[in-house]
Amino acid sequence: MTLFKEVTAVESLAVKKTARLSLLGFFMAMPPVLVIISFIGAPILLALAFSLGFITGPNRIVALIGQEIYPKTSWWGTLDAFKSVINDSRFPGDLKTTLTVTIVSTTLVIIMALGMAIYQRIIGGRIASILVALSLVPLFVPVVISAFALRTFYDGTGFLKTVFYHIGLNFPTLTMTSNAVVIGVIWTSLPFAILMISSGMQSVPDALIESAQDAGAGFLRIVATIMIPLAFVPIVIATTFTAIGIMGSFTIPYFLGANQPTMLGVEISNFFGPYNRPQHSVVMAFIIFSAAAGIAILYIWANIRSAHQSGRI
Amino acid sequence: MLKNLLKKKLIGAFALTTITALSLGVTAPVSQAAGTTVRLYISADTNIQDLWVKTLIPAFTKDFPQYDVDVTFDRNGANDAQTLAKITAAVATKRDPGMDLIDGGISTTLGGAGLLFPLSYTSLIPNLKNVPKVLIANGKGAIPYRASTVLMAYNSKNVKNPPKTLNEVLTWIKANPGKFTYNAPSGGGSGASFVVTVLDSQLTAAETLKLQTVADKETQAKWAKGWEILRSLNKYTYGQNGTYPTNNAGTLDLLSKGLVDLAPVWSDQIASALKAGTMPKDIKVYSITNPSLTGGPAFLSIPATAKNRSAARALVNWVLTPAAQSLIVAGNMNGLPVIPVSKLDTEVAANISSIDITTLRPGYYSTNGNDMKAAWANEVPGKL
Repeated sequence: MTLFKEVTAVESLAVKKTARLSLLGFFMAMPPVLVIISFIGAPILLALAFSLGFITGPNRIVALIGQEIYPKTSWWGTLDAFKSVINDSRFPGDLKTTLTVTIVSTTLVIIMALGMAIYQRIIGGRIASILVALSLVPLFVPVVISAFALRTFYDGTGFLKTVFYHIGLNFPTLTMTSNAVVIGVIWTSLPFAILMISSGMQSVPDALIESAQDAGAGFLRIVATIMIPLAFVPIVIATTFTAIGIMGSFTIPYFLGANQPTMLGVEISNFFGPYNRPQHSVVMAFIIFSAAAGIAILYIWANIRSAHQSGRI
Repeated sequence: MLKNLLKKKLIGAFALTTITALSLGVTAPVSQAAGTTVRLYISADTNIQDLWVKTLIPAFTKDFPQYDVDVTFDRNGANDAQTLAKITAAVATKRDPGMDLIDGGISTTLGGAGLLFPLSYTSLIPNLKNVPKVLIANGKGAIPYRASTVLMAYNSKNVKNPPKTLNEVLTWIKANPGKFTYNAPSGGGSGASFVVTVLDSQLTAAETLKLQTVADKETQAKWAKGWEILRSLNKYTYGQNGTYPTNNAGTLDLLSKGLVDLAPVWSDQIASALKAGTMPKDIKVYSITNPSLTGGPAFLSIPATAKNRSAARALVNWVLTPAAQSLIVAGNMNGLPVIPVSKLDTEVAANISSIDITTLRPGYYSTNGNDMKAAWANEVPGKL
């Protein structure tokens, strides 16, 4: 009897403590939430209203100055600005370039990161550690600097072109093409993918790999049926973050890409600045946003899956 | 009712944040020297920043130690749209926009929108009397203070007889594939000038005049022939794949490395590069004719509600003195003066005596210019 009382007392104390902790946690989470609501959430709502043709109130000034503004025609707004962007002859090319660069670069980044992570996990040793450390270098080089360096490396008087010229070959000038953009975004995205995936691979237990080896499984078999499935969630996270980052990139395509078609990040800036069409740029931003949201669903799905597997939900 | 109230509150909150942001930005310098700090906003290329920071401001503060100048630099006017919005909002609500003097392409737009301190009080800037009336009229309240023009640059090692007229230039480009380029108009004025010149060559004088003075969509439709010509150059410009350098510096870079032999460049930028030795001595410049490339005055502007506008006027008045104009011409800037050449130092005047700034061919009115940049990206690059 006394024991039972004690247990309930301890339990109620624990309940109180958890409640207090969760309240504290809530207040600790408040500042970032408030910052996001007031400085990001509100402007996004204003921008959405602007894209639908609400040009009064806080959107009045930008509508006054911008060119080709489509004001709302019904109570909920208008889709004229969206139509105008979609019918713009630049848009299909830009969208295609953005998606192609995103898909190609993300695939290459993930393949490279997987290779590096598997090499480090299975073979390991000093060389692998040095390689992983080296692969993190791009994290510490500002993107503007590396974009400029890549441009001087691949342009008409660049290193490769000069070397090939001396042996009598004509190496193509890569700058101002999507190829250079792919090279550039791989450089910037690789470190994060390697960090993410190799840490996922490190958590695969040795026992599983060794027992598979004992049962006679080959290298590819171990990778395909043990390592990749066990590191699946980190791989999906790396993929989604890489793809979203590449889709919204600006500096690399601005320095290395063609004038037209270009990636949407650069085009948004062109429409906002030089062409003075703020409504169009907002519309494009929402189109990129929805594409990125599509990728984010993949991320959420992977998280739910892992939660299911570990029995959290 | 409720909706209106909410709207008012939102605007209030918006204004409050703006004011807080502004006061955070300007409190420090103002509290030290109220009213005597000129907050100069430069929306231009780096050579203009150098002109102010290294040449004009030191000379001004030496002559007038009671003033000082606080510079904000916006490279190539990348934030022009926001700056315009800020000033428009500030003048509409009779508040200080956070800048007293603006140097950049937006000056004339502000003038056209009636947001500037009216120039009818010329007595406040007495030196304006030396500036040609036609230039002042073009400014619509903005103050012309220097001029520059776009010239054709060529590599004299490879080109013995550079093409003299626009038509000869177009023929030359096709005869020398890969040896000509101009930068994307959205990235810099030298490329924009070449594009405008090709477009104008297919228009009547009256149509060109319209595009230079008022927003005009109908006349823009007549650009079609010009786009046709520019598109036909895609196979012959540098790279031969319909790509163009991003900005003025990109053109100069290709020219200095010997990758192109002919390109439109700003008169002041090429002169500075030649003087600094970053451009080989073989590169020479000249004016083409029929039509010529564009050029014209650059304008300063004082927003109507600028807090330190009297200090700004003192700086403007000083910039228009013969001494300051000589600095613009002779220093690293290599600009053109807006006062008669005869008033400058004789040594400085000798180099530029042949140029008459009142006859420079102006570019487009700003909204037409924006439309031209947008349309160029739509019509020209990548279309083979």
